[in-house]
Amino acid sequence: MVYQTWWKALGVVLLVYTFIAGLLIPLKPGISSVHPSNATAGEEVILEIKGYNTFFTQSGAPLRAWLKMDDTHALGASEIEIVDNQHVKARFYFPAFLPDSGRVRDFTLLLDDPFNGTCVLPSAVFITQDSIDPAMGKAQWVNAPIKGLHANSRLSFPFRNILKESIRNTYFHVPLWFSMIFLFLFSVAYSIKYLRTGAHDHDRRAHALAVGGVLFGIMGLVTGAIWAKNTWGAYWSWDVKQNMTAIALLIYFAYFILRGSFEDPEKRARLAAVYNLFAFVALIPLIYVIPRLTDSLHPGSGGNPAFGSDDLDNTMRMVFYPAIIGWTLLGFWIASVVYRIETLRDRVLESY
Amino acid sequence: MNMGKEIWNLLRKDLMLELRMGYALSGIFLYVFSTVFIVFASFIQLPNTVWNILFWVVLLFASVNAIVKSFVQESGNRQLYYYSLVNPVSVLLAKMAYNVGLLFLISLLIWAGLAFVGGNPVRDPELFLLAMFLGSSGFAITFTFISAISAKADHNATLLAIMSFPLVIPILMTLVKLSANALGLMNDTGLQKDIILLCAMDGLLLGAALILFPFLWTD
Repeated sequence: MVYQTWWKALGVVLLVYTFIAGLLIPLKPGISSVHPSNATAGEEVILEIKGYNTFFTQSGAPLRAWLKMDDTHALGASEIEIVDNQHVKARFYFPAFLPDSGRVRDFTLLLDDPFNGTCVLPSAVFITQDSIDPAMGKAQWVNAPIKGLHANSRLSFPFRNILKESIRNTYFHVPLWFSMIFLFLFSVAYSIKYLRTGAHDHDRRAHALAVGGVLFGIMGLVTGAIWAKNTWGAYWSWDVKQNMTAIALLIYFAYFILRGSFEDPEKRARLAAVYNLFAFVALIPLIYVIPRLTDSLHPGSGGNPAFGSDDLDNTMRMVFYPAIIGWTLLGFWIASVVYRIETLRDRVLESY
Repeated sequence: MNMGKEIWNLLRKDLMLELRMGYALSGIFLYVFSTVFIVFASFIQLPNTVWNILFWVVLLFASVNAIVKSFVQESGNRQLYYYSLVNPVSVLLAKMAYNVGLLFLISLLIWAGLAFVGGNPVRDPELFLLAMFLGSSGFAITFTFISAISAKADHNATLLAIMSFPLVIPILMTLVKLSANALGLMNDTGLQKDIILLCAMDGLLLGAALILFPFLWTD
């Protein structure tokens, strides 16, 4: 396998596809901001809505807008003016009383037309009511039921309010972790093989795979940190998953230092294999157990370590799965190059 | 000779060696007291959160110092003699059992020392003792096994620290949480889960150590 080319070529093809499709497919239309975002009950307000990737002038059918309070209560816009492709002004009238007992209530903004599909901005407008009377609010409420929504059928990735364009990191950050785990698993498997057979070749493979795994781990950490800067607000938030990852990398750095501290290749191979296995056992609670028991900013904190099924749509899957395979193949390619260099070095050393 | 008896005899041998040498054990105790003294002299007043963390950090470093000599205090030839005489796994288990006891003793001393100079904030002594025992076991299992690896290399004290600290961080984090509950700093309802997690981590590391040790001692 190490000397064959077809899987390396496949990896490159899949990665080229990942980069092209992952970076070029546009996001679905969305709402990036609304002004003003605060209003008082009983007021008439003109909301200036800024769209993202929207084409309001090409709507075809009239654009509709709602402010949704909950599943049964929604306000319709009385008048909508399209300024240009990215800007819309919508006039809303808020009744003097809301059918809600809270002083401040958040409303979700929805825009819909056949061309752009439905755009949603949660908690777009906060409405303050001076006097609270839910019964009166119910009586005064003019409900505009939300129905006949359109779907955007063009090829696009979902628009998420905090993620925005950074959603594309799903094809880099996440698959890098996947391939890191695969590389470490194979490294451990070769360490076991080495301990069973004593063939020096297995040790070289285990080492090369660990090198590849650490490289991918560092890249996963860096892409994650950049993503965290844009979504959580800081490169490093002392989140449990970031800490556990850093520790996991420390363990593998210790593995390399251990290897470096032996002259005798047989002794080095044996002790490194033992430590690799012991460290992998210690890694299991680190990566699979503790992050599930602790609160985290990372998606899927209380269960799945990465994300839930809602986070990917079918267009994203079309890029995400090839990306996993592509990055994994690249990781194994890197490991195979390291392995070949090691083999050659040993052969040169033996010839002296 | 069955394994239990082997372990018991090896344990007695280790204890007698330690007591006869004397300075090793008293060195550790002196280390504990000077560390506690330095901590107190620098902090003067210890808030409970700091007390909690310092306790485990002092224990962590004392453990490394106490355990690093496990496999180097006797000569390689004598080790080989033990391995041929008894089951090698018994040697490891005896060392681990000895180190669990030693670390538990050290942690009691640190508790006493910190309580003497900084007051005793522990509100739930049973839980704290349990945390101390589970912590001592986890540290002892990991450090003993890693010291068996690092004993094969030069500069083994440094190697032991860099190889084992990342491995015990998950144990350490769970311990800090557990003892924070014992100190009344937080009130966790999922305490059972943490205790089970600690036991599982200790068991997992012990199992891995037992499986891997036969590959380690042969040279």
